[in-house]
Amino acid sequence: MKKKRLLCLLLVSVMALSLLAGCGGEDKESDGKQKVTVALWGSQLLENYSQFLCDEFPDVDFEFTLATNSTDYYRFMNDHDDLPDIMTVRRFSMNDAGLIKDMMYDLGDTELAATFYGTYLENYTYDDGTVNWLPACADVDSLIINETLFNEYGIPIPNDYESFVYACKEFEKNGIQGFTSDFSADYTCMEVLQGFSIAELQSMEGREWRNKYESHLTDQLSKEVWVPAFEKFFDVMEVSGIDVKETEMVNMDAKEMYNQGKVAMYRGTGTDVIEYAGREGDKSMLMPYFGETENDNWYLSYPSFQVGASKKAMEDPEREQLIIDIMEAMLSEEGQSCISYGKNMIPYNKGVNLELLPELDNIKPYIEDNKMYIRLASSEMFSISQNVVQRIIKGEIATPEEAFKEFNKLMKEEDEEEAKTVTIDKAVSNDFTEEHGNMAASAVFNTVLAESGVDLVFGQSCYVSSDIYEGDYTEKDLGYLTNNDTGWPAIAKISGKQLKELVAYTLEHKNTRGAVSNDSTLYVSAGFEMDISRTDDGYKLNKLTVNGKEMKDDAQYSVLICSDYDLYTMQALEKIGCTDYNNDDGPFEKYIYKRIVEDGGQLEEPSDYMTIK
Amino acid sequence: MIKPENIKKYILPLTLIIVLSIMMVMGIVYIRSYMNQKAAAERVAQLEQISSQIKVNLEYGLDNQWSLVDSIIHYCEGKKFDGKDDVRKEIGEIQKLFALDNYGCRLMFLDSQGTVYIDEGTAGIWDDINQLADGEKRHTFVTETSNVEGIYMSFVQKLDTPISDGEDGIDITHVALLKDITELRKYYITEAYGGHAATYIIKSNGVQAFYDAEDDIIGVRNVFKALSQAEDVKGMSFDEIMQILEERGIVSANIKIDETEYYYCLASLKQFDIYLMLMIPAEYVATNTIKMMNSFVRIQVVFILALIILLVIAFMSFVVIQKRNQMMQIEKHNNMELNRLRIEAENARAEAELANKAKTSFLNNMSHDIRTPMNAIIGFTNIALKQDNKPEVSKCLKNISSSSEHLLTLINDVLDISRIESGKIKFSPVPVEISSVAKSVTGIIEGFLSNRKLEFKTDLKTPEYPFVMADVVRLREVLVNILGNAVKFTEDGGKICFSTEYLPGQDEESIVVRYVISDTGVGMTQEFVEHIFDEFTQEDNGARTKYKGTGLGMTITKSYVDLMGGTISVKSTKGKGSEFTVEIPMKKTDETVNIIRGEEGNNVKLDGVHILLAEDNDLNAEIAVIQLEEAGIRVTRAFDGKDTVRTFSENSPGTFDVILMDIMMPDMSGYEATAAIRSMDNRPDGAEIPIIAMTANAFAEDVQASIDAGMDGHIAKPIDMNEVKKSISVNIDKDRKV
Repeated sequence: MKKKRLLCLLLVSVMALSLLAGCGGEDKESDGKQKVTVALWGSQLLENYSQFLCDEFPDVDFEFTLATNSTDYYRFMNDHDDLPDIMTVRRFSMNDAGLIKDMMYDLGDTELAATFYGTYLENYTYDDGTVNWLPACADVDSLIINETLFNEYGIPIPNDYESFVYACKEFEKNGIQGFTSDFSADYTCMEVLQGFSIAELQSMEGREWRNKYESHLTDQLSKEVWVPAFEKFFDVMEVSGIDVKETEMVNMDAKEMYNQGKVAMYRGTGTDVIEYAGREGDKSMLMPYFGETENDNWYLSYPSFQVGASKKAMEDPEREQLIIDIMEAMLSEEGQSCISYGKNMIPYNKGVNLELLPELDNIKPYIEDNKMYIRLASSEMFSISQNVVQRIIKGEIATPEEAFKEFNKLMKEEDEEEAKTVTIDKAVSNDFTEEHGNMAASAVFNTVLAESGVDLVFGQSCYVSSDIYEGDYTEKDLGYLTNNDTGWPAIAKISGKQLKELVAYTLEHKNTRGAVSNDSTLYVSAGFEMDISRTDDGYKLNKLTVNGKEMKDDAQYSVLICSDYDLYTMQALEKIGCTDYNNDDGPFEKYIYKRIVEDGGQLEEPSDYMTIK
Repeated sequence: MIKPENIKKYILPLTLIIVLSIMMVMGIVYIRSYMNQKAAAERVAQLEQISSQIKVNLEYGLDNQWSLVDSIIHYCEGKKFDGKDDVRKEIGEIQKLFALDNYGCRLMFLDSQGTVYIDEGTAGIWDDINQLADGEKRHTFVTETSNVEGIYMSFVQKLDTPISDGEDGIDITHVALLKDITELRKYYITEAYGGHAATYIIKSNGVQAFYDAEDDIIGVRNVFKALSQAEDVKGMSFDEIMQILEERGIVSANIKIDETEYYYCLASLKQFDIYLMLMIPAEYVATNTIKMMNSFVRIQVVFILALIILLVIAFMSFVVIQKRNQMMQIEKHNNMELNRLRIEAENARAEAELANKAKTSFLNNMSHDIRTPMNAIIGFTNIALKQDNKPEVSKCLKNISSSSEHLLTLINDVLDISRIESGKIKFSPVPVEISSVAKSVTGIIEGFLSNRKLEFKTDLKTPEYPFVMADVVRLREVLVNILGNAVKFTEDGGKICFSTEYLPGQDEESIVVRYVISDTGVGMTQEFVEHIFDEFTQEDNGARTKYKGTGLGMTITKSYVDLMGGTISVKSTKGKGSEFTVEIPMKKTDETVNIIRGEEGNNVKLDGVHILLAEDNDLNAEIAVIQLEEAGIRVTRAFDGKDTVRTFSENSPGTFDVILMDIMMPDMSGYEATAAIRSMDNRPDGAEIPIIAMTANAFAEDVQASIDAGMDGHIAKPIDMNEVKKSISVNIDKDRKV
């Protein structure tokens, strides 16, 4: 009898193993689909760009993550020998990117590189001729001017700095702020500082200094070039009435002021001029940063992002070709038109014609004249600009000379290597599997659930930017675990029915921020489970459960939603008729910090949050 | 097969040849390698020479442009422009003044932000403005921008004092002369390689700025990277090449790209921050020198190959000579061995002959020594039987006689088979009237039948040609043996048939005599028939006692038939009888001897015949004398050979009618005695008197030996008086016959 039982057990085990093997045969790796990891610099690329790539390469299993927007993220990934196959980076300097130069594939001799204008390619060429990164089309980031408002008040549209000052003063007389910008973010501080002094920065002295700086020949600002720049900023601050409140403003605050007609000009992008164009019916235009003469006017621009590939990903020739093909698609006309609106960008490569919207007509002569300043965007420039500019605005730095000295002082301060402060005990993969979904994202969002005190958490998995590695983390590196670049999460009070509608809307809605383009961009739930099915063009929700029991429609929950607050969450909540929501008081990574850094704890265990058919 | 010790002889010369060949091949390889190195060095030297010249030419050309720039700047010193349009006009004027169009040049001014001013107006910020941002005063580089159409070598100088325009705020900070790159060809182009040289102008970071060739051999942007990754033929790493370039300003090397070898020369035009590179497929570099070197190498290779062939031939000759010597040695050794074997064989043969002789002697002695007492036993028994004896005595004597006869037969059989096996028995044909053989056999058999109740039927044909050469003794023995067996194995009341037939022979000169003997006896099984000619074979163990025999009879018979070249076959049915067929081929002849021919001894009248009996054995002599005298013969006995000769010679001719001569006698044998008698000078009758051997030497060769010794007949002991009488009667005067 005992022998028979053992035999039965053995047979059952064999059958189970066979079934498991059969299941294994259905996973994506063996579907013949090649997995390619793509780190997207920001959530705006989830809107159309990720979907474009999925459509263009149906045989590729893309794994998208939202990288933080600096090359230091890739330094962190490289420290864990986990560089994504394809990388995109927004904040870029050759200096910063040099940290991972040896790990990057040399694109210099590819046909892709040959499609770029020599001048631009030269800017990406190292001393040894290597080209690791290529730029996607340029975003323009200058002054948005409400032409209607100017006309209303009979103030001439400025064409140089003097007329800009005049306009500011005239608007001030009418109770309207002439110019503003949010100065809480580092990049706005940096861009406004550089933008009003482009003529100086682009003078031969300015170029020579920049050349030295980018070649590591100096780590100090040039007095000749930069003192005038600070002088100009002080002047702009004074004439436009910028004060402490601007240092607390977030991006949307300036746009709202503009849309309300409270400000005549603000620092904005080619996208903003379309999306935040003033009061209803107002006509806005994107103007350059004004110089002393019209000849000194320049637009500030920067590549929407840079694309590079890991050298390791290119070891197999077939895979190398596939990745080159994907990068070619990314930088093709069609690919680049999927970035932002596609009609507010300036291409760097030949044969790509991106139509410009009428709002951007006045850029064209500047493009023809090459008067497109590419911002100096090393990491320290962002942080030090933020520090110095905010202090200038706050009155902590009184003079341009003092600002110059303070800036140089901060540049001199060597980055002290941050001590490893926390330890994560258990590694969890960020890969999506049909069986368990994204386990790393589940662990992170379960921790957010536990720490935030809400009932449920619903967040997009690609906001978890890397695997959870076992071992020591610095606080800075811990920041690379999640992307928090798209606004703070929302906390909403909604019913079970509304949550179902929210999830269903999220799964089915396309071409918006927060859209789901493939498995790696699916959402993760904490505190409840999702039962979803694949459809011909995506996914659909079957049901939601709480602890395995179907969620009740009339149940009330507080839900923390991690996605793009401005461009997804608010719209989605409005769609389901939820009005009881608010922006959380910080990025969702604060909960991770609290758990791990402040409390010395560990991330929650991941849970089986999803059934996918 | 070369013996190991011989291999040693070849090791030294072979090693020398191999070493020499290897050295020569290595020499060829070395020379080839050396020549290749020399060729490469020659190519490199030639390339560097040409490249140096081009470098100098190009430097000269570029310097010329710089001189022009200096002149233009000098011309512009102190000038003031009245707005952008004035700048445009002034540029046009300068171009005309310096005839820049004629040299493929155009002039360009730059302001502090990099705005391009040309004779057609402003053209935006210069794409290459950042190239001027390194703090240097002068820049020379290839430019291809959207500002000015075309590819130019640009010569840009930063002005010490900008040319300012107070009103428009224009500050001209740089003067740039743009020289159409194709106009520089005359400085860098070379016809030395038949138009196969590609010229590259390379930026300091290794990136290709311009190439002038039908095809871009390198084919990628980063030339230095491509060179560093190409297969290096010369054995120098690219880092080493760059180091040499840094030190000497010029360097050449050869590489392989896509399986094609190229030579390239890099020249540093340091003052212009560019590199010049000439790249030529190897086949076009120093072609004549290479051809000459290749020819030289070919001749050397041919010469060395010829030398190797000669060495090989020498070695082969050496091997052949060595082999020949070796063969001679082997032959000599073989001859010695053969000689040794021959001697050994001869010795063995001699020993064998000795042994054979010893055996023959033994057999002869045995035959003689056994027969002699047997002669006495049988003789005296016969004599005794002829006395008036009591019936019991007569019976005993008959038994003795019968047993003696049987014993004699056994002895004869054993001796015969021994002689056959020892090869002693020879085929000894003699002329004979063939029908007499069958008749004599019939007579013998009739004797066997005397006390048996058997029907003996003969069918003896008369031959067409009566005289043939036949070994009568063997033939008779064969027939008697078969017929004797028939008598033995046929119960009384049975029947025995004996027939002869004369068949044509193989040719005209021969016949085949067929004898068929059949009986109605016990017969044999088929199994036994197959073994009938094997030694000691008798079908039934009981036969030995019942029928008396050694089992050698048929073996001897078959041996004799074989000896005579004939055949014997048997058909038999158990219980019904047997039939033997003997066929003997015989040559026809005219001669006859009367060994067998004659009448029955019983019918011979020998009264008064005087015989000289030579017999050393007293018993035998006594028996012979008694039996001969019974036949009415007068006997004079001689005691040995000498005595016989002496007795013959002492008696007058005609005293003796016949001499019965024993053979084995002391002092003088029967043969010697016969020879002595035959050769007596004073006794012519000695040559004619019949001498009949009467000896225990009963073998056929003994018969032949007797005849050879000059005797006229042969009687074997123990003597059969019928035989004796028959033989005597054949040899004495016919008148004495009845």
